[in-house]
Amino acid sequence: MNPGKFSRLITFLILIFFYIPIFVVIMFSFNASKSPVWVGFSFMWYKELFTSSYTIWKAFLNSIIVAISASFVATVLGTLGAIGLYWGKFKGKDYIWIISYLPLIIPDIIIGVSLLIFFVFIKMKLSLLTIFIAHVTFSLPYALMIVFSRLQDFEYSIIEAAYDLGATEEIALFKVIVPISFPGILAAFFMSLTLSIDDFVITFFVAGPGSTTLPLKIYSMIRFGISPTINAISTLMLVGTIVMSIFMRKYLRYIF
Amino acid sequence: MLGSSVEIRNVDKFFGDFQALDKVNLQIKRGEFFSLLGPSGCGKTTLLRIIAGLEYPDSGDVLFDGISVVSIPANKREANTIFQNYALFPHLTVFENIAFSLRLKKMSENEIREKVEKLINLVRLEGQENKKPIQLSGGQRQRVAIARALANEPKVLLLDEPVSALDAKLRQELLLELDNLHDQVGITFIYVTHDQAEAISVSDHVAVMNNGRIVQIGTPYEIYESPADRFVATFIGETNLMKAEVVDVNDEFIRVIAKGLGEFSCYKDKEVSKGDKILLTLRPEKIKISTKPLEGINSFHGVVEEEIYMGYQTKYFVRLDEGYILKIYKQHVNYLLDEKIIHWKDEVFVTWNPNDSFIVEVEKG
Amino acid sequence: MKYITAYTLWLVVFFVIPLIIILSFSFLEKTPYGGVNFSFSLEGYKSLLTIGYLRILWRTVWISIISTFITIIFALPTAYYIAKSKFKNFLLLLVVIPFWTNSLIRIYAWIFVLGNNGIINQFLKLIGLVDSHIQFLYNPWAVILVIVYTYLPYAIIPLYAAIERLDNSIFEAALDLGCSKRKAFFKVLIPNIKAGLVASIIFVLIPAMGSYAIPDLVGGVNSKMIGNEIARQLTTAKNWPAASAISSILTLITLLGVIIFVKSSKKEVLN
Ligand SMILES: Nc1ncnc2c1ncn2[C@@H]1O[C@H](COP(=O)(O)OP(=O)(O)OP(=O)(O)O)[C@@H](O)[C@H]1O
Ligand SMILES: [Mg+2]
Repeated sequence: MNPGKFSRLITFLILIFFYIPIFVVIMFSFNASKSPVWVGFSFMWYKELFTSSYTIWKAFLNSIIVAISASFVATVLGTLGAIGLYWGKFKGKDYIWIISYLPLIIPDIIIGVSLLIFFVFIKMKLSLLTIFIAHVTFSLPYALMIVFSRLQDFEYSIIEAAYDLGATEEIALFKVIVPISFPGILAAFFMSLTLSIDDFVITFFVAGPGSTTLPLKIYSMIRFGISPTINAISTLMLVGTIVMSIFMRKYLRYIF
Repeated sequence: MLGSSVEIRNVDKFFGDFQALDKVNLQIKRGEFFSLLGPSGCGKTTLLRIIAGLEYPDSGDVLFDGISVVSIPANKREANTIFQNYALFPHLTVFENIAFSLRLKKMSENEIREKVEKLINLVRLEGQENKKPIQLSGGQRQRVAIARALANEPKVLLLDEPVSALDAKLRQELLLELDNLHDQVGITFIYVTHDQAEAISVSDHVAVMNNGRIVQIGTPYEIYESPADRFVATFIGETNLMKAEVVDVNDEFIRVIAKGLGEFSCYKDKEVSKGDKILLTLRPEKIKISTKPLEGINSFHGVVEEEIYMGYQTKYFVRLDEGYILKIYKQHVNYLLDEKIIHWKDEVFVTWNPNDSFIVEVEKG
Repeated sequence: MKYITAYTLWLVVFFVIPLIIILSFSFLEKTPYGGVNFSFSLEGYKSLLTIGYLRILWRTVWISIISTFITIIFALPTAYYIAKSKFKNFLLLLVVIPFWTNSLIRIYAWIFVLGNNGIINQFLKLIGLVDSHIQFLYNPWAVILVIVYTYLPYAIIPLYAAIERLDNSIFEAALDLGCSKRKAFFKVLIPNIKAGLVASIIFVLIPAMGSYAIPDLVGGVNSKMIGNEIARQLTTAKNWPAASAISSILTLITLLGVIIFVKSSKKEVLN
């Protein structure tokens, strides 16, 4: 059945709906005026962003530090977990699936609030470390599921074949399982990176003074009102997203 | 390369409450081509995996050359497996797949190259060295799996339905190649299949399995010609089963009476006495069929109910006067010169030699 | 087994235990400056039984349901068109880009367009249509608009995946058997993509229920949702038991909702 005119129209409208606000923001990042009335083309807001916005770059750096470290840890633990779940014969796999699905079902704000109370309760100072812990926590289930779905493309007998040919457990792991699941591992890493860089709500609760991340910084700037600097940051982040999306498309299969 | 003898002693295997193997005993000679034959789910793969060390028996013992190997894990056992789905490493090329076990042994690059090339020649994969498994055809994948297993210089090669995923013609070809390969490398082959024609055509000995038990072990000739029981008789090839009652017994032959057939003579291959109820098997190709009366002790008259022309032979279903429907295969030695071509609804005479039927079950009467 | 230990341990310590902590804190006494006294009390829950709270709870539910409904209504034809289109890879990319775009920036884009100082108001002022501004934002409908905008890609992608997997011949068979296109849509398409539909609804409804940033930034005083109230209890009011109690209730609602929803839709699929 060919798609009808109706669904084509809706799709068209939806895409306009998606992109109009974004395009407007991009356009006005090049506006030569502070107020949202077009007066002329200028790079002034980018100049300001690159020369006199120390706190934004500090926040950006924090975001990058947290994203890379949290994604690395989440990917390693998630990959090992997926391998264990796929490979191992043990009881209680159902429980591991339940605690993996729960964080996806429970609203982010609950994860943020419960972690905040947890950190205060165990008297842990709120800092980049607590943000890192939170980010690893919400990325872990995604990493596990992505790698697991890649592993599922292969029959278990591949592992047995490695054993059969004389491989020890370590060799089967590093010479066979890790290489075949590598596209999944990479997808898990990039998924964790995006989740981490994107996260606002959970970070909002577990961040302490001096550990502002980019989304937190943008949030506080938005509260002050609209500004061409935000337009400029948004545009840069969008460019980053588009590059990332095109790159990620190859691995999309393991993400959805 | 030299093979090992393999002995299975009283092996039991349970999956939960389900008994997959029941007191299995086997003795496989050094260098033999041995087949495990049985219907789907009878436990062939389970037994093979126990020999490979990928599964542990709940009781019993597995011995290679008289030495128990149950405590030796799969990666140290001198047996290698061709998996049902080949289980090639998707991320490695053909060359690297074959070299996998050699690299683990820390061989020098030159040695590896030399050895892999030899194996590639042996399984005729020249020119495919740098392809990934996904770029190969089914038959080629199977050859890589064989070369990869042989690279490890096993003393026993375990093959789990290695040709079942291929089409009929390729199956025949690769089967023949496997047979040749076996002659060349001289190691013990244990071959699992549910296809009786495969097992019969290549094996030195065949073990027929059913429901986790071994029901008969013998040469292909023995299991085809003198099946041990009703299951083997019907599972291997096609046959006529006849229920009969013994009415007379002498040294070599018995007289029986069967419903739908009447009275006839059979070879006494099992001890029976008058009044016993027995089950007889008679292969369809052992029966002579003609439009003219035939000489013989067991002669019957009937009508052709169905005729299936198959090229090299014709299958007939003949309803005997007393009602029994006999399956008969007639080979076409020279189709046109055969006396008269028999067709549907023709009246025919059939006969068979009493030596050709076998007793598969006896119920003392 | 050993491979999964670290993973499991991490989730137990930093996810399961914190959940258990807030559940238990919701039954404790509050202390004036945040924190709890370890004695049993139902004050946390009792303080929720006011008209104001019930109103916020009710608002959260209806905003979420309406947003989800609108999202699915638009996501279905879009996913369908993309799945059947010749340019599906490109169209999918166009959906995926907003999906990966930072959610605050997507919220900001609407403030920039519709805000009191946004471009529409500036434009209207410029041409003299209004004196100061028209207030487009700071009401529940603005919250719904931005929720739909934010979560549409989340709904389109699973629906697209489900429709993609479908064998096209089932539509042809339906049309061949005299189904109209509209009937084919409801009688053939919908029953066959139930799993994707369930996923889409869950992917929209749950984050909508837990919304914090959207009502905070584009909602007014009369469009606060549960998420905002949890934050207020935790930070300004410093009432941990109350914050824990609302969190526990929200968790319970979403969990029960998902379980009942998935169970009932599974049953229907089986029937
Ligand atoms: N890991 C397992 N857990 C539970 N049951 C099993 C397991 N492996 C095999 N079985 C059961 O044991 C029986 C024998 O299985 P096996 O794989 O040995 O059969 P097979 O003879 O190789 O069949 P096929 O010809 O279909 O490959 C089957 O009923 C199967 O369901
Ligand atoms: Mg099998």
